[in-house]
Amino acid sequence: MRHYHPRIDVTHRYRYVPADFVKHLLSTTLVVAALTALLSGLFHEPVRPALKIDAYATQHPKGFLTVALGDLNGTGAIANYGPPYNHGTGSVQDIIQQWVGVIHPVYPKQAFVLEPLAYAAHLDPTLTPALNQFTHASPAQQALWERAFGTALDHARVQGSHVLLPGGAYGPVGTMMQGLLHLGQSGLMTGALDRSPADYQFDNQNALLFLQGHPLHSAAKKLELEGNQWGIIHEERAPYPGPWWMTIVTAIYQLPFIANASAADALALGAGMVVFLVLMFAPWIPGINRLPRLLGVHRLIWRNYYATHQADSSDGPSVPS
Amino acid sequence: MNWTVYVREKMRVLFSLDTWLPTELPDYAAGLLYTLGSLTASSFVILVLSGIIMAANGPQWWTISSVGFYLRGIHFWSVQAFFFFMILHLLRVFFSGAWRGGRERTWMLGTLALLVAIPTAFTGYLMRGDFYSQWNAVQSKDGLNALGFAWFNPLNAGQMYGLHVVVMPVILGAIIAVHIAFIRIKGVVPPYPSHEELQETLHEEVH
Repeated sequence: MRHYHPRIDVTHRYRYVPADFVKHLLSTTLVVAALTALLSGLFHEPVRPALKIDAYATQHPKGFLTVALGDLNGTGAIANYGPPYNHGTGSVQDIIQQWVGVIHPVYPKQAFVLEPLAYAAHLDPTLTPALNQFTHASPAQQALWERAFGTALDHARVQGSHVLLPGGAYGPVGTMMQGLLHLGQSGLMTGALDRSPADYQFDNQNALLFLQGHPLHSAAKKLELEGNQWGIIHEERAPYPGPWWMTIVTAIYQLPFIANASAADALALGAGMVVFLVLMFAPWIPGINRLPRLLGVHRLIWRNYYATHQADSSDGPSVPS
Repeated sequence: MNWTVYVREKMRVLFSLDTWLPTELPDYAAGLLYTLGSLTASSFVILVLSGIIMAANGPQWWTISSVGFYLRGIHFWSVQAFFFFMILHLLRVFFSGAWRGGRERTWMLGTLALLVAIPTAFTGYLMRGDFYSQWNAVQSKDGLNALGFAWFNPLNAGQMYGLHVVVMPVILGAIIAVHIAFIRIKGVVPPYPSHEELQETLHEEVH
């Protein structure tokens, strides 16, 4: 097989013709400006309102309490996530994740339940005794109360935005959870979760992590936005185009052996990167670097050129310096 | 060569009028297929211009003002146009074997622009402030964390905003600029030689 060679790889039979690049670039920019201005005027941008904690707590009070209990007793997805949030193991996919360490610390028992409740206790002083009783109890006692509350929650009835709990040995946890539900429904919980030490709010990590389990997943599933539903490239409001440029990574997610792997995200993104590297290094990959010549699409691209130049060899080489 | 002389020489070519606004082109580089790269660059210009107006008004503006909402629509359709023209351009240059004749770096920079454009656009999707932003922030975090990119925190709107309006576009813009400069300096890849021309060239080489 011949190696690539600048002399034999490309034709040397062509001429230079006058071109006005100022006009060319101005034209293409005006075309895109007019096109996008028109599309925005006609179709604007798709928007689906954000899922707010107050709306979720009002419409799904039992779901809200289930999420909050998982945060309190440490069984929630974030409570047991692992790096970069905490020292859990539930969502650790590989050694690199552990190596990076806890760089965005989140301990949901404190951050998602006890600290927001401490703010709420300023507005509702009846929460203070319950909070004190809970925080001064032994971990074993706390676990007993949490378990009893979980059992009661399983049998609870929902009446409007209220959760009616049967009796049980859940101690102060009942009062605390009802207090957190009220805080959630008030619209103040997002602020309590995202409150930064510097008081300026630039980071919405904790409010999103609070919602990230069942609340966001159940809403996304209905919109076919989950990973196994080609969700990455779906726009939330069809037929608007989504970020279709991530089609390759999304397709990799649909492969059963990747979708079902414990390190699915690492594998899918890693495989996507390999595909990209093949594209990037195509000029050096034997076979791929000769593919365009074999496919012959270039004959269509340069149809006019071949028709005028190569048919008439008397043109001769004419490459200006 | 002295390195300052080397840098001066490179800069002289990089910033020259001949590089950016040529007055002649090879005759094979004509037609609609040869405007796809320019249309991609023009989409990037519209993205930057609409982005500057949006950034100047602050992140709440495009969610509460009708003018801001219109601007973000332009920004949205510009990114669709950007990737649409970029992928068509990529297909055109791939089927042209555009890395031939010592143009490998031009190809690599183009593919790198595609790679960098993806997180640039993604951080923008996180700035919409709607359900899509919430969902993609929580969905993307697992893959990023698993690959060791936890520093890139899609749940931190402040970090994503800074990356989207300054860091990523500056990097992407620089890659696109050098990519375009290389195209101009190296010239647009010429067609494959015909069988007859190839034979003539090989014959000349043998003798």
